[in-house]
Amino acid sequence: MTTVPVPSPALTVGRQGNYAGAVSRLAAFAADVGASWGLYTLGVALLNAALKLATGHSFTLSNHQLAAFIVLTLWEFLYFTYQWAVSGKTLGMAILGLQVVTRDGAPISGRQAVFRTVGLGITLFLTLGIGFLGIVYQRNRRALNDYIAGTAVVYDWDARAARLRWIARKEGPAAPRQHIV
Amino acid sequence: MSPNPIGNRVEQLAQSLAEHIVPLIVDAIDIDSILDKVDVEKIIERVDVDKIVERVDVQKIIERVDVQQIIERVDINAIVNEIDIDSLVEQTELGSIIARSTTGILTEVLDVVRAQGVGLDDFILRWGNRLIGRGKKFRDWPAGPPLLVGSEAIAPT
Repeated sequence: MTTVPVPSPALTVGRQGNYAGAVSRLAAFAADVGASWGLYTLGVALLNAALKLATGHSFTLSNHQLAAFIVLTLWEFLYFTYQWAVSGKTLGMAILGLQVVTRDGAPISGRQAVFRTVGLGITLFLTLGIGFLGIVYQRNRRALNDYIAGTAVVYDWDARAARLRWIARKEGPAAPRQHIV
Repeated sequence: MSPNPIGNRVEQLAQSLAEHIVPLIVDAIDIDSILDKVDVEKIIERVDVDKIVERVDVQKIIERVDVQQIIERVDINAIVNEIDIDSLVEQTELGSIIARSTTGILTEVLDVVRAQGVGLDDFILRWGNRLIGRGKKFRDWPAGPPLLVGSEAIAPT
């Protein structure tokens, strides 16, 4: 049984479709960086093992810095673009219950997914993160990459089900209950 | 009509008399006082409801009812909105069913992380805007995209 109190509807059911805030988006991004980096490392290790098995020689991608940089950039581009184009959310966003939508709230197109990924790189490296301040200070909580792609990020998790689970946990499955007559 | 002309006349006379007398009698009767004297309870006691029910062909009545038309007239969404789901889950076995079917450690962690994330988002939005002297102006900002929350909805913070 959980000791966490049931959060108010203002933090759960009432927020579906609302613009997502900075902390949720940052946490989702951190999870995505971790997941993409982990998958990249795993992929490189598998590639090394396969090459060693096939040629008998060991190949380490990190010894070729330019190649490693290009592969990593392409991989990150693919990681974000593919997931946004297919489902409007990355792995990290799915964990945090976020979704990328158009300015009006419709599903995004593949083109917008590409622009959003390129915009993410610009916001991260060219503006040194200043482009993300729009999430806190702009009325539609949109960062620079959202402006570039014409998108916004909203809460998408099934908060109603989560609230019911909370209430159910608070009561505990073994607690005596009344029957519906 | 009677073939006898005298009989015919008497019949007409009786009819015109009845037309004049009956309304006078009806007006003179105090129906309320009659009803006061009637012991309704006693009449009800005498009625054998079971016998009446036995005579009614319920199956025929059911066959006549157009259930589809009734369903179409019922606003199920309005009924569902009236239900206090929170208390339903709290007070019935529904809660344990939900808990048993969906509660895993991962789900629990996700629920907590997401709800706390929303709380922290609000905190950062509130204090971030206060720091630059916007005060509570951000409360007029839209809650979400128009297709998802409507154009009138404003931020709940």
